[in-house]
Amino acid sequence: MDLTSLEPLLPDQGIDAYAAYLPAYVLTDNRLDPTGPAPAKGPARSVAGYDEDVVTMAVEALRHLDAAGGPLLLATTSAPYEAKTAAGIVHEALGLDPGVSAADLRGHRSGATALDLVLRAGALAAAADVRTTRPGAPDELGQGDAAAAFAGGGARAAALLGRAGHTTEILERWRLPGERHDRVWDERFTAEILAAAGLDAARRALTEASLATVDHVVVSSSNPRAAAALRKALRGTVPSQQDAALERATGFTGAAHPGLLLAAALDDAEPGQTVLLVSATEGADAFVFRAGDGIRAARRGPSVRDQLAARQSLGYGRYLRWRGLLDVQGPARPAAPAPAAPPMHRRAGWKYRLEGSQCGACGRVTTPPSRVCAACGIAGAGEAKVSLRDRTARVVSVTRDHLTTMPEPEVAVVIADVDGGGRLSAYATDVPPGDVTVGMPMTPTFRRLWTTDAIHNYFWKLRPAPTRTRPTEGTH
Amino acid sequence: MGSRRTTHDVAIVAMGCTPFRDHWHSSADDLLVDAVQECVGSLPSVTLDDVDAFWVGTQGSGMSGQTLARPLRLTGKPVTRVENYCATGSEAFRNAVFAVASGAYDMVMATGVEKLKDSSFSGLSAVYPPADGTDVDWTAPAGFSLLAPAYQEAYGVDARDMRSALTKVAMKNHANGALNERAQFRKAVTAETVENSPRIAGPLGVMDCSGVSDGAAAAIVVRAEDAHRYTSRPIYLKGMSFVAGSGAGLASDGYDFTSFPEVVAAARQAYEQAGVTDPATQISLAEVHDCFTPTEVVLMEDLGFSERGKAWRDLLDGRYDLGGALPVNTDGGLKSFGHPIGATGLRMMFECFTQLRGEAGARQVPDAKLAVAQNLGGQPGSCVAFVAVLGSER
Repeated sequence: MDLTSLEPLLPDQGIDAYAAYLPAYVLTDNRLDPTGPAPAKGPARSVAGYDEDVVTMAVEALRHLDAAGGPLLLATTSAPYEAKTAAGIVHEALGLDPGVSAADLRGHRSGATALDLVLRAGALAAAADVRTTRPGAPDELGQGDAAAAFAGGGARAAALLGRAGHTTEILERWRLPGERHDRVWDERFTAEILAAAGLDAARRALTEASLATVDHVVVSSSNPRAAAALRKALRGTVPSQQDAALERATGFTGAAHPGLLLAAALDDAEPGQTVLLVSATEGADAFVFRAGDGIRAARRGPSVRDQLAARQSLGYGRYLRWRGLLDVQGPARPAAPAPAAPPMHRRAGWKYRLEGSQCGACGRVTTPPSRVCAACGIAGAGEAKVSLRDRTARVVSVTRDHLTTMPEPEVAVVIADVDGGGRLSAYATDVPPGDVTVGMPMTPTFRRLWTTDAIHNYFWKLRPAPTRTRPTEGTH
Repeated sequence: MGSRRTTHDVAIVAMGCTPFRDHWHSSADDLLVDAVQECVGSLPSVTLDDVDAFWVGTQGSGMSGQTLARPLRLTGKPVTRVENYCATGSEAFRNAVFAVASGAYDMVMATGVEKLKDSSFSGLSAVYPPADGTDVDWTAPAGFSLLAPAYQEAYGVDARDMRSALTKVAMKNHANGALNERAQFRKAVTAETVENSPRIAGPLGVMDCSGVSDGAAAAIVVRAEDAHRYTSRPIYLKGMSFVAGSGAGLASDGYDFTSFPEVVAAARQAYEQAGVTDPATQISLAEVHDCFTPTEVVLMEDLGFSERGKAWRDLLDGRYDLGGALPVNTDGGLKSFGHPIGATGLRMMFECFTQLRGEAGARQVPDAKLAVAQNLGGQPGSCVAFVAVLGSER
C-alpha cells in the first residue's frame, strides 16, 4: 500500500484521544436453574455494576480526555432521564467550561453519529449503554454494557481518510418510553437491509479514502447476522477476527459498540495502519482512518484487553437483582434520601468533581469543602479547591453494612485518607465487601449511589486501585 | 475562658422513669405524663405548679416546648424543647440545671421522651435537612462498628479477643438488665446468642446493638441549699460538661477511630469540677452510652477507667461487672433498655440517682458515693458528648 497517497480529508479531522470503559463484571451463565450441567463455553456479556449507568460510565471513559472546542455529546439508548440532558451531568463531572455545550444523542445509530461529530465538529463524545433483555431471551448474553469516548480537534490517534453514511428507515429495534427492553423484528429481514446499507457505506468511504483494502476491518451491528455478513464480505485478506471475538466477550453494547470495537482496534493499530469501521444499525455509517504517530499516548485509560482480563464473574441472580429484574426483599429501613437541587448546585465541585478545600494557612484538605478548615480551625483560608478524584486513598477503617438499601446483601463502607491530604467516607465498589482491608489503596470512581423520588443521586465511590501501573496508560 | 462548676450547686430531688418498652398502647404524650407524674408524685409537698420552668428533650417525637406543655396542660410556664442527637436527654438536664444555678428559677424539671415504635423501621430514623446527597447513608451500627477494626489494629488485639470483649459487654449489660423491671429486655444472654446473632454491620450482630424502645424520664432540680426541703436524700451534681465535636474526624485526615476525643474533653472538665483526680478508683459506678458493644470498650478508656489498649482485657477480667471494682451500666444500659433518644440521658441519670440513694435493690452497688453518667450522639469522628459526675454528698 502506498501510504503517501493517504491524505486526510482535512488536517485536523480525526481522533485526537480516546478511551474505552468496560465495567468490572461479566455474565457467562444465564440459566435460571443452574443445577444441571454447565453450558458449553458460549458468549458472555459485559455487565455494569448496580451503581453504574450511562452517565457514570461516560464519566469514567471521558475523565482523562480534554475538550477540543466542540460540544460534549453523550450517545445512548438508555439515558437515565427522559427530558433531562444526561450530558449536562457528565459536563459537570468533567468540569468543562460552561461555554462548551452538552447534548444527548439518542437511538442505536447515535454512537456512530457521535463519532462523526467528533471527526467533523471537534466534539468530545462518549457513547454508553446499559442493555437488558427479558430474562431468558435468546440474545440475553448477546447484549452488554460499555462506554467509549473520543476527542476530536486533532488526529494524534487517527486521521479520517473517508466517511459515508446510509440512512434507511427500518423497524429493527425499538422501545416505547418507559419500556425496559428492546422489541426486535425478525432479524433475518433486518440483516439483509442492514448488510446492504453497510456494504454501500463501506464502499463509498473506501472510495473517498482512495483505498481498496485496509489493515483493520471493524464491524459493529445491532443485528448479529448483519455483522457476520459484513465481516465476511469486508474482511478480504485481513485475517483478524478481533471485533467478533470482543463482541463474544461483551455482547452488543448498543450505542457504545462501534466506539468500543474501534477503541480495541486502535489499541492494537500501528502508526500508519488503516482502519475501516462500519456501523450497521438504522442504516449504516462507515469511516476510514489512518492511525497517527501519537496513537499510543492518545489512549487515555487502560486498554480494552486489560479491562477484559480484569473482569469479575457475576452470578445470574445478582445480575437480575442489579437490573431490577428480580424484586428482592430489602431491610426495614427508609430509602436513602433524595438530594435537593439547590445544595447539589451549590456544592457541584464537591459532588461532581470531588473537590475539597485546601487551607491557605495550614495546607490541610477539608472534605466536604468548608469555610473553616477542619484541621486548624482558621476561617476563610479554604477558598482553594483541590480535586481528589485522581488520587489514591488508603483505608483507615472499614465496615460492612448488612442493612443496605442497595441491591446487594451487604456493601462495604470505608473511611480513607487521600494521598496528599483529605479524608473520604465512601462506599466501596467493584470489590467483595469482605476483601476490603485497612490500608488498602483505592481510587475514586463516579457512581450512581441511589435513586429516590425519581432523582438519581450521583457521587464518588472508591474502588480498589489498579494492582499495577500500566506502562501504556496515557500520560495525561 | 473555662468550664466551671455552676455558681450555685444544684441537686436532683426527684426522678421518674417509665419502663422502656414497645409501648404500643402509649403515645409520647402518655409516656411524658407517666414519667412526670412519677417524678412529682415522689415528693409529697410538691405539685407540678411548684415547678417554675421545664425542659423537654426529644429528637423526633415532638416540636417545641408544647411537646410537654400540651400533654400536661401546663399553664403559663416556660417550656424549652432541646435536641442534641442521642445526648438529647442529657441536654435537657444540662440546660435545666443552668436555669436553677443562675438563680432565675427555684425549681425546674428536665424531661425527655422518644416514641420510636410508631415507625415500622427497625433502627433509628431521622429527618435531615435537604442536602446534596454526598453523605454515606450510614446506619448507626455501621458508623460505630468502625471502632472495632481500628482498635484491634492500634493495640494488636486479635479478632477472637476483640469478639470476646464485645460479647462480654453484651452479656454483662443484659445480665444487669435482667435484674431491672424497667428494662426492655430482662433476660441474661449467652455468648452463643450474642455471637450467632444476625450480622448488622461489620463484626456487629444484632446482639451487639442497643434495642429500640419507647420511654420517658424526668428529674426535678433545685439549688443544693434548698434540696433538703424536699427530700432527705438529694443527689448532688458535682460536675458536668458537654462537647459538640467539630466533625474534623470525618472531614480531615488524622483521627484514628480508637477514641471519642469529645468524650475525653467532656470527662476531663467534669472530673475537674467534681474534684475527681483518679476516676478509675474514685468512681463507684458509671452509666455509659453502650449503643453498640465496641462503644463501651472505647468509653472505658476515654473515661479514664482503663488504660489505653487495656479496656478489652479489663472487661474480660470482670472489672466492670456488677460485682466488679467499677460496675458499669448497672441498670442494663442501652443494651437492655433500648434507646428512646430523648429519654436515654435521663434514664442513665435515673440509675445514678437510684444507686446513690441506695434504692437499687438487687443491683445495688455497695457504698455508692460517686456516679458517672456519660451520654453521646453522632458517630465516631463526629459526635456530641455529655459527662456528669453525681454524688450522694454535696
